This record gives sequence, structure tokens and C-alpha cells, in this order.
Amino acid sequence: MTSGADNRSDGFSDALDEGAAAFEQRTRQLLRESVEGLPAHTRSRLTRARYAALAARPSWYSGALRRWVPAGAGALAAATLAVLFLVGPRGESPVASVLASAGPEDLEMLADSDAVQLGRDGDVDYDFYEWAANEAKGGSAPSVGT
Amino acid sequence: MLAFANLGSQTSDLLPLGKAHLRDSAQDGARTLETFLAEVERKAFRIAQIALRHEADALDVVQDAMMQLAHRYASRPAEEWRPLFYRILENRIRDVQRRRIVRQRVMSVLPWRGEDAEEEMPDPIDQAPAAGPTPAAQIESDQMIQALEHALTELPGRQRQAFLLRNIEGLDVAETAAAMKCSQGSVKTHYFRALQALRSKLGDFTI
Repeated sequence: MTSGADNRSDGFSDALDEGAAAFEQRTRQLLRESVEGLPAHTRSRLTRARYAALAARPSWYSGALRRWVPAGAGALAAATLAVLFLVGPRGESPVASVLASAGPEDLEMLADSDAVQLGRDGDVDYDFYEWAANEAKGGSAPSVGT
Repeated sequence: MLAFANLGSQTSDLLPLGKAHLRDSAQDGARTLETFLAEVERKAFRIAQIALRHEADALDVVQDAMMQLAHRYASRPAEEWRPLFYRILENRIRDVQRRRIVRQRVMSVLPWRGEDAEEEMPDPIDQAPAAGPTPAAQIESDQMIQALEHALTELPGRQRQAFLLRNIEGLDVAETAAAMKCSQGSVKTHYFRALQALRSKLGDFTI
């Protein structure tokens, strides 16, 4: 893994003059002695911290679950949405069925802002409009109010 | 006990081959990770202690870094752990330093500041020097390491980081660059500036 701290060709010490190299060597020695000379209670706490960290490591099955369950759930959801959108619950595309069943009158009505306003008006006498439409066709319409 | 051992071996025999392989490789990974953490924990503690000048904070920082490595990066190749670990460690050190700055600013405007100063007093037992012989050379060495630590705390953070990663952990230029998330050229620049600054402060620094 590592380490070439005492290796002179590791890229750090190539450009050092003799005095700098000696200073570096001295400081390194001091720092490493201080690492080795840590008091017992500090070493003990570091050991406990290490065990706590290892206990926090995810187990192999939870790691596999964490890796594969979200991926599987996402793929399943995407596939379900794709099937519902493209095929529809009764075997036909919901988008295609809506477009096929819509006549030009429906589209005109949707585009007509007056018709939309009419539909929202609660006081409209729908019987009158039905009678007027039948009269325009020349048919015999029932009298209004019957 | 023997019965339990036999039961365990029988159970492992019953596991599907793929799962048993996964479990075995996970156990190997845990052992490898434990070996790695045991190798770096003291060095990491010293790096954090020099940066923070506080033993309890340094211990917390090292534990956080170990837990994050184990929890999030244990599945990464072992060759990547060292630079990853020291990057996490440095981020934690900076978090603590930022919190200290914020706390100092807040405390400086609070009227009741200083009332809980007693809580901040270090435990004299924790601060006591390690047991062992203390001849004159040891005292001199202790004084030198204290002077070195003091000089290191006065360095800019990146220079200190490059210097400590090199001289405590022994990372080479490429590993230090990965740990510091910068180019190898920047690492060399930080390192040589740190070396020059320390030499100018400490002199020849020889016993």
C-alpha cells in the first residue's frame, strides 16, 4: 500500500539540499517517536474507537440488500409505469383510446372558451338548449318544462 | 461449545455457495479493515492532535473518520482506503476548527461568557505525561517535539497537512495529492513551503 517515508525517490525529497534533508529526517524521527509514545489511555480509547467503527461496518447481507433492493424497486416501478402508459389496464393504450374516442365536436368544445364558461355556470337552463337544438334539426322536441 | 461449533460448521455448509463466498469475503474484508485501522489510528490521532491542540477533540475526529470509512467506504478497494481516510480526517479537523471559530464568536458577545470555563479545564490525569523513564535526553526530546508542534500549528492548514501526511504517515506525493484532493505539484509546493517555514522558526533543530 505504502509507504516510502524513508525512500528518497518518492518525489518529496528529490530537491532538498543536505541541510533540509537532515532537518526533515530529524522532524520525522521526532514525530514518529511521539506516535509510538502515546500514553496507554489514549491507545485504549483508540482501540475502542476502532471496534466501534468496525461494528458500524455494514454486514455483507445488509450491504447486498442496500445495493440491490433500491435498484430492483426502481426498475420494477419504471417497468410498471411503462406498461400502464403504453398498454393500459385493459390492454389498450390510454392515450390512444382517448384520442380515438374524441370527435371533432369534443375538440371544438374544449377549444371554445364560451362553452367552458357555460359549463361552469350553475344557472344555465340545459332543457332550453336541448329544445333549441332539436328545433334547429327540425325534429319534434318535447315542450319545454315537460 | 463443541456442539455449537459443529452446528456452525454444518450451518455454513448448508449455505448456498454464492452466499458463503460473500460472507467469507466480507469477513476477510473486516479483518483487512481492522488491520488498516489499527495501523493508521495512532498516526491519525497525532495528526489531529497537532492540528487541534486538544486530545478529546482529536480522539473524536479520529473515531468519526474511522466510522465513516468503515460505514461508507469499506467496500472500496483497500488500496484506496489510506488517501480516503486522511481526506475524511482532514475534513473532520476543519469541521472542528470551524465550530471553534463560531463558538468563539458567539461566546465573545454573550454576557455570561467564562462561567463554564471550569468545564473546559483539561483533566490533569489525561494531561499527565506518559509513564516511563524521563532522562535528560527524553526531556530535551519532549521540548523539541513541543516546539515542533507549536511551529506546525502556526503553519497554514494545507502546508501542515502535507508535512504531516509525509512525515507521520509516510505517504508519497501521489498518495498525499489524493488525500488532499489537489495536484502533485501543489503538494510539493505546500510541502517545501512548510519545510522552509519550519526551518526558519526552529533552526537546525538537532540534538
